[in-house]
Amino acid sequence: MELLECKHLCKEFDSKKILKDINLIIPKGKIIGLLGKNGAGKSTFIKLINDLLIPTSGEILINGKKPGIDSKEIIAYLPERTYLDKEMTIKQSIIYFEEFYSNFNSEKAKKLLKDLNLDINTKISKMSKGMQEKLQLILVMSRTAELYILDEPLGGVDPATRDYILDTILSNFSDGASVIISTHLISDIERILDEVIFMNNGEIALTSSADELRNSEKSSIDDIFRRYFKC
Amino acid sequence: MLGKLLKYDLKWVYKVVTVFYILAVFFSLLGRFFNNIENSVVFSAITQFTFGFAIAMMASSLINCLMRLWARFIKNLYKDESYLTHTIPVEKKTIFLSKVLAAAISVFTTAVVIIVCLFICYYSKENLQALKGMLEIAATTYDTTVVNLLLLMAFVFFLEVMFMILIGYVGIILGHKSNKNKMTKTILIGFALYMLTQFVTLGVVFIFGLFNQSVMNLVNTTDIVNMEAIKLVMTGGIGLYTIYIAFYYWLGKKAFQKGVNVE
Repeated sequence: MELLECKHLCKEFDSKKILKDINLIIPKGKIIGLLGKNGAGKSTFIKLINDLLIPTSGEILINGKKPGIDSKEIIAYLPERTYLDKEMTIKQSIIYFEEFYSNFNSEKAKKLLKDLNLDINTKISKMSKGMQEKLQLILVMSRTAELYILDEPLGGVDPATRDYILDTILSNFSDGASVIISTHLISDIERILDEVIFMNNGEIALTSSADELRNSEKSSIDDIFRRYFKC
Repeated sequence: MLGKLLKYDLKWVYKVVTVFYILAVFFSLLGRFFNNIENSVVFSAITQFTFGFAIAMMASSLINCLMRLWARFIKNLYKDESYLTHTIPVEKKTIFLSKVLAAAISVFTTAVVIIVCLFICYYSKENLQALKGMLEIAATTYDTTVVNLLLLMAFVFFLEVMFMILIGYVGIILGHKSNKNKMTKTILIGFALYMLTQFVTLGVVFIFGLFNQSVMNLVNTTDIVNMEAIKLVMTGGIGLYTIYIAFYYWLGKKAFQKGVNVE
């Protein structure tokens, strides 16, 4: 059963076509890699799903409804930038999530933060960018959502942190939920993917099951990606 | 949800504005203290200095209140924080209403602080009598008391400031619909809307003046001001500003509900 459906989705910025006629179905219970080079339109696509941009044409349906309160209730979104009020402390950010998301599990968040040895009274502005990103990841993964959308969660972090991020994602997403991970660092995530979507120049270039693709091409997804997008 | 949003909006605005409130009250009290000390050139200079500081802090609290309300609107709805604000399960109209209510509450408290500080600085029986004498003529024209007239003036001030804030909000919303030069467009749209509304006001006064000679005389003669005409213009002004506020609230809400294009 589909969780998310895009029909003829287009997005233009000043007559420049960023997304061109995207038709896509995201099923329930899958981990999907949204893969593409920088500027392929991955973040724009994700922002459209999250109601952060207005589509030029076409529509997005999440559980059969357009993006709105209902979709925001079931989507846990991790953007590529730090979005928390830096004047807040970690504790205050937990309270914020608790107040606005009915499916937020503050105990889980506190436990994950404890594992990182983070004092919840620390001000976010006093934390390094990497720690702020980890905090955001913990807050997002502490929600019992139906769809987790993670935009470049591995961008600009060291390999040890990448492992921490992937472990946090894998061990914390709720049963039956789907996860969309947008990235161009494929080798790090390909082991966890069920499905892959290749995006190129604002278009869906390929959608496939990760295993089927590996078997048919007899190589890793990382290699296929490199061949596909060779400059 | 509205209450929760409002709590965060007010917290952000008051975080800095409260400092100016405290400074304004502090310098008002200090000025008052020096003013009560036996007359000397030194104390008189210190008094003037502290009163000057108090007035500067009162003005700063109002200016900062306005600037922080607009800054919060941009930061929370169009910059990095917008990625969180627009993904919490709250309707866009509720988010907008929270910003407007935060503006109304903070402008009200700023007005109260300014009035209290002025009272601390300048209250004396003589000053009160002089002020009463000055306002009594105006109050009689309005068939009201001095207290009611003061409240009316405070209400007009509140309406004018709220009108400016809403124009700013609408300017930000429309300016940020575009993909380039968002801030420039925000300022230009806000200024254009403000000027346009003032021209509409002049137009309304002119049309009203066609049917009421005493109102027309206010603008095209140098005759002694007719108090009845001023009363009409003032009452009409309150009505007009109320309509403008309602209109810009509706326009802002409508434009905001259509969606955003965050950076």
